[in-house]
Amino acid sequence: MSDAHAYPHEPTGVETRKLGMWIFLSTEILFFGTLITTFLIFKGRDFPGMKLTDVYDIPFTSVSSFVLLMSSLTMVLAHNALEMNDQEKTRVWLLATAMLGAVFLAGQIYEFTEFYHKGFELSTNIFSSTFYVLTGFHGLHVFIGVVLLLALWGIGQRQKGLSLNDGMNLEFIALYWHFVDIVWIVLFTVVYLI
Amino acid sequence: MSETHKEHPTPTKYVQIAIILAILTAIEVALYYTEDVVGALAAPLLVILAVGKFVIVVGWFMHLRYENSLINKFFAGGMILALILFAIVMIERAVGNFF
Amino acid sequence: MTKIIQPKKQKNIFSRPSSEEGIWSWITTVDHKRIGIMYGYAAFFFLLVGGLEALLLRIQLSQPDNNFLSAAEYNAMFTMHGTTMIFLAIMPISAAFFNYLLPLQIGARDVAFPRLNALSFWIFIAGGLFLYSTFLFGTAGAPEGGYLDEEVSRLASAPNGGWFGYQPNAGLKYSPGTAMDYWAIGLQILGIASLVSAFNFITTILNMRTKGMRLMRMPVFTWMTFAVSFLLAFSLPIIAIALFFVTFDRQFGTTFFLTEGGGDPVLWQHLFWLFGHPEVYILILPAFGIVSEVLPTFSRKPLFGYPAIVFAGFGIAFIGFGVWAHHMFASAISPVAQAGFGLSTMIIAVPTGVKIFNWLGTIWGGKLTLNTPMLFALGFIGMFVIGGLSGVTHSVVPADTQQTDTYYIVAHFHYVLFGGALFGIFSGLYYWFPKVWGRMYNEALGKIHFWLMIIGFNLTFGPMHWLGLQGQVRRTWVYAEETNLGFWNLIVTIGAFILAVAILVFMANWMYSRRKGEKAPFDPWDARTLEWITPSPTPVWNFSKAPEVKSLDDFWYQKYGEDEDGRAVRKDTADDLLIQLEEEGFNPDEEIHLPSPSYFPLILAFGLPFLGYAVIYKSIPLALIGVILLLIGGFGWGTEPLEEEFESAEEDLVNTEEDSVNEEESPTNE
Repeated sequence: MSDAHAYPHEPTGVETRKLGMWIFLSTEILFFGTLITTFLIFKGRDFPGMKLTDVYDIPFTSVSSFVLLMSSLTMVLAHNALEMNDQEKTRVWLLATAMLGAVFLAGQIYEFTEFYHKGFELSTNIFSSTFYVLTGFHGLHVFIGVVLLLALWGIGQRQKGLSLNDGMNLEFIALYWHFVDIVWIVLFTVVYLI
Repeated sequence: MSETHKEHPTPTKYVQIAIILAILTAIEVALYYTEDVVGALAAPLLVILAVGKFVIVVGWFMHLRYENSLINKFFAGGMILALILFAIVMIERAVGNFF
Repeated sequence: MTKIIQPKKQKNIFSRPSSEEGIWSWITTVDHKRIGIMYGYAAFFFLLVGGLEALLLRIQLSQPDNNFLSAAEYNAMFTMHGTTMIFLAIMPISAAFFNYLLPLQIGARDVAFPRLNALSFWIFIAGGLFLYSTFLFGTAGAPEGGYLDEEVSRLASAPNGGWFGYQPNAGLKYSPGTAMDYWAIGLQILGIASLVSAFNFITTILNMRTKGMRLMRMPVFTWMTFAVSFLLAFSLPIIAIALFFVTFDRQFGTTFFLTEGGGDPVLWQHLFWLFGHPEVYILILPAFGIVSEVLPTFSRKPLFGYPAIVFAGFGIAFIGFGVWAHHMFASAISPVAQAGFGLSTMIIAVPTGVKIFNWLGTIWGGKLTLNTPMLFALGFIGMFVIGGLSGVTHSVVPADTQQTDTYYIVAHFHYVLFGGALFGIFSGLYYWFPKVWGRMYNEALGKIHFWLMIIGFNLTFGPMHWLGLQGQVRRTWVYAEETNLGFWNLIVTIGAFILAVAILVFMANWMYSRRKGEKAPFDPWDARTLEWITPSPTPVWNFSKAPEVKSLDDFWYQKYGEDEDGRAVRKDTADDLLIQLEEEGFNPDEEIHLPSPSYFPLILAFGLPFLGYAVIYKSIPLALIGVILLLIGGFGWGTEPLEEEFESAEEDLVNTEEDSVNEEESPTNE
């Protein structure tokens, strides 16, 4: 929000907060880049006997990946509904996105407990460490996203609609949410499939 | 900018894009199970598919295609920088020891 | 037709802070100038602490086989000296300059996100306090079979693995106790502060420029801020993850950097220096910017080769990402990498050299005023060239493997970071003193400060060159009598104490002049950039009306014309202009809405150290306190408006919002 009314602002033509969000996302690339690099360097170094890759449940992970992918669709529909000023639909899609995110998180928690019961702790071997830290860091991002979405949905419920200012927030959260989704697109391939 | 500015897609368009994404994901999973048949081609194909999905989500869902070129530069800059730096580190730590 | 729904007025957790004076007005401020001043004082405090640690080190080394500090204390002191000076002194002092000057130089009323700005400051304070709480709560035990058998004193219960925290030395096995955890988590918190401010400054520079302030009309200091912000934004995430790994290794039994579990200690070096080398430029580029403002003003000439300086700055920033492995020539890297990084290290000297020649070109033939800021700026050039030249010698790999970990390296980076960065910073402190306080500093004391400093500095760090080449090793608490290193080490210690005296002179000057100094005239230096068209000290609203800029150094060209030979001639109207500007500056004719102060940045920031303690002591209650603080801060922040709305202005507000949305839907090209 600019600080003064008659004051000139935004010579770039991009809303200031949106610009800030994109710069943040650009640096997030470096966060996940470091994690993925570490993961790739340590790939195949799980020497104390067991291999985490052997206990992967690919059908299960595929389904939860699909869920997260579809949450991007509901997110973009929420954004679209708000642009059409359809408050009712906006809230429905927001809630749907948050729920899909929560399902993904539940799936991750289930997956982690499964692996744990099969004997893979955080410090079992270098591969399990990188696996848990990398996917866990992504899970943390999803969690923050779900909290933000629910907060926005709650504001919408209380006020019976989202104001323009909240609408701007919706756009930032949407950008963040899609970013979390593309990170998972990469992780799904790098961690599970290859 | 105003000439190149395109309207954001409609909900129908978004659903179509999502269907494409779903199909790509299905192909990925199929590739995983047919790795023995596809052989060495599987890994590069998987990477290409992931890049494709990445570009679709960034371009359409995040509206990067419709955004100011400045934002495109930031995002591309971050990507390119990360790719170069981490490629060097990976070569050094994983392959470099053989030089 | 868009229906606009007004946000409901909400009761917030606290009533909005409203005091305009006194301590609470400072604690809750979101004014970039006040935040800048607080940054400055906090950073100067840590500079003194770091300096004190250096003096202890120097007393220990003043004679051979000395027993002033124990080995454990020595390790803690050099680690804390490095960490403090880099993360708690030089970086935040640069942030102080950014905060105070950046909005003024681009003609804005504040930064893009005023509350985020307060947040970065408070996170910095929280991180600094967290790191230093190690002296109260931390423990540094003895590694098994290590050098330590005596009781570890409080002075030694600080991080002791070096500011670079090389693994596995900084791991749990060789650095037991909690001190290194304080280091890892403390840096993590400080990193968040810098990252947040980097986003803020990039957006500010891009989006808050006043009318006519095109990118290529921005002052060089603003440009350097821009470059530094990019370096921060793209290098800090890397170290953040690497520090996560360290914390996991130490706290949760993983082995990311430990060979016994298949980890890779050299990977830590890569990740650390991927951040660490850009960090070097993060420290030096602000000084480049300051000097590029001071030299033209006191040479009464425009900056020589403005575009070259700007592009060289970005060249340095860009190549700065590609030279990290020259810190690792003595580590396990391939010969190809050695050759490549040696080359890139030589190449980065080129844009740096461009800048040096630009500065020389600026003062060449100028009418020089040799007052304190100018002396420091000239001293900066001299000292930085020495440091730069010894730096190029490191790019020669066989030579570097000899120099690695000797005092030659210590000499080199102190010439760059002390003779470079700190001299530049002192130049800036004197130069903008009248702007910030509305009074002049004492010129005589300033000159004494400069001469003491340049003599003390060269006595301290000059001899380190040959001490290093003679083989004195870094980070070693004693040397034997037979090495014959005693004489020069004594000289170095004497130099260090001269530096301490110089700093005392500076402090005396500052404290005296701030209250009792002569009243500063409106434009004391006959300067060129926008901050000088505001009255001193700058009123809280900065500019009464948005200035419009027509060229680079616009203010100068309002005061000066040219005669036929191209010499600057003061216009007759110049004096009237200054009087008029001062008049206008104090009396805005429009109602100005400024962002309101807020408690929430403070609350949010102080949640982080609790989370840090929770990780170290595995304590759920502490984690809960941290999370609750974060939630209160985040929720309160999210629900309070940036500026308190005025009842009468409600109607206008709706209209402006509608306008801005329309603008947004049809983005215009610049």
